[in-house]
Amino acid sequence: MSAYSLGWHIMKERMSAGRMLVIWPLLAMFILFSSWGLSDPKANLPADLVIDSAYDVMFASTAFIVFSATMGAVLISFDGVSRDRLSGVLEIKLSQPISRSVYARALLIGHWGAIFVPVLLLNIISLGIIWYRLDDLPSMEELFIHTLATGLLLLWYTLIQLLASSWAKDLGSSIAVGLGVWMIFTLLWLVLTTVTAGLFGVGVENLNSTEYIEIEAIMDLFSPNGVYHHLLELPLDDIDRGVSPMIASLAAILWSIIPLQLFIRRIERMIP
Amino acid sequence: MLASGSMEPALTLTNVSWRHKIRDFSNWKPWAKRDGPGIHSINLEIKPGFILGLIGPNGAGKSTLMRAICGLYDSDGFNKSSSSRRSGIGYMPEQVRWEGRVSVRNSLRTIAMMRDKEVDIDDIILKVGLSSKSENYLDDLSQGMRQRLSLACALLGDPKILVMDEPLNGLDPLAQRAFCNLLKDLASKGVAIVISSHQVTDLEALVDRIALLHHGQLLIEGTLPNVRKKLELDAGSGIVEMICSVTGINPEDISLDLANDDLLPFRQIGVEEE
Repeated sequence: MSAYSLGWHIMKERMSAGRMLVIWPLLAMFILFSSWGLSDPKANLPADLVIDSAYDVMFASTAFIVFSATMGAVLISFDGVSRDRLSGVLEIKLSQPISRSVYARALLIGHWGAIFVPVLLLNIISLGIIWYRLDDLPSMEELFIHTLATGLLLLWYTLIQLLASSWAKDLGSSIAVGLGVWMIFTLLWLVLTTVTAGLFGVGVENLNSTEYIEIEAIMDLFSPNGVYHHLLELPLDDIDRGVSPMIASLAAILWSIIPLQLFIRRIERMIP
Repeated sequence: MLASGSMEPALTLTNVSWRHKIRDFSNWKPWAKRDGPGIHSINLEIKPGFILGLIGPNGAGKSTLMRAICGLYDSDGFNKSSSSRRSGIGYMPEQVRWEGRVSVRNSLRTIAMMRDKEVDIDDIILKVGLSSKSENYLDDLSQGMRQRLSLACALLGDPKILVMDEPLNGLDPLAQRAFCNLLKDLASKGVAIVISSHQVTDLEALVDRIALLHHGQLLIEGTLPNVRKKLELDAGSGIVEMICSVTGINPEDISLDLANDDLLPFRQIGVEEE
């Protein structure tokens, strides 16, 4: 049995769960409405944002993906391990011949797929919206980078939440850890960045200064959302925050490998 | 039961030990753990075609021994590796709370996908009497039906050894009888069965051999008449009398206020733990 076929089965199970009735509309509202709104040629955007291409719309709408899809990943995966553990089903699953590392990978594929597939479908629909509103489509390279980066972002959040789920002894702790991590990276990271900049003697009165932007770019490497934006900036020629594409790619690889290895190790050593 | 004799054991345990890790409150570190209760130097042969009953008071180590047999713990002392044991063992844990908006068939399919050979799910569903409930959600199952589903999971992939922890809990009397008949039938086909149950009357009628555990140690193992003989008990003595005999409790004095510490340890294992 391969991790892919079991993962596919887990994904279908997860996608038919009751909570998807909440997640689907949430994703649809954030992704589709943001594409619709941001692709309006008459839109008056804050922070002097200028949107004049399809990829600009996609880039700007990722702020909404970061907010909704990562929350979706947390909501889908928070009981990925802990529920089976509490009910005793995990004892049955871990006593099967399948190797624990294959099972861990299958869990990851299943839970990641359950959030990535809806986001991917909605992104495809939002492409149609952008084309309708702007009469423009992103290039294949831009589309590839956007899809890859979104897939990786959801993978990192799924991994973090599954890890929390495997550590937690109850569902409440699992979701508390997942939401806590989500809040730190999504809402509080700006505060952490500002504090760090202050500690390094960089003035925080002007958040557009070169020194602050460089500190922010480095801090972003330690956050999944930050690495996501570094990856999304790769096709944009007019943005240079002082982090090379190689460093951003390396950060993405490390964000993928380290939690994955931790999760596999955790499942391998887990006592149900 | 198959004809005994010098048949190869399905699984041999030699000095199998395993200790639970428990929180160490004597240490200021919140993650500090120390060795807790477990099983100690268990030597046992699980023979094909025999039903072996694991008996003992609460906390004796029955479930721990069963989990170790099933490869859930990383313990040495088996003649087969953990992965090969898992291929040939069907495990039914105690009181699994199946829940969720997933159908019985789908849940069983998920487990079946973790086996290393093709499984006829419909056949298993029929065998455990879940045909009429196969499309029901897990949330809608009664406790007895959940026990049947756990049994179905244990039967997936034609296991050579069945390990069952309190399988009779939650089953109605008819289902208990059917369950015992099924186990006898499987044993007659050469399946080795290890079972623990606190429903001692059913167990006495079911098992070929018993293994008595106490404080994580295997005290005695053999056929019921042999065990009675070794413990110098009457021919009519049952499992309760056997447990009383090895724990030093007078059967007349049994009450719920007896703590586990009141039971006589067979060997002073607490000394070596310190």
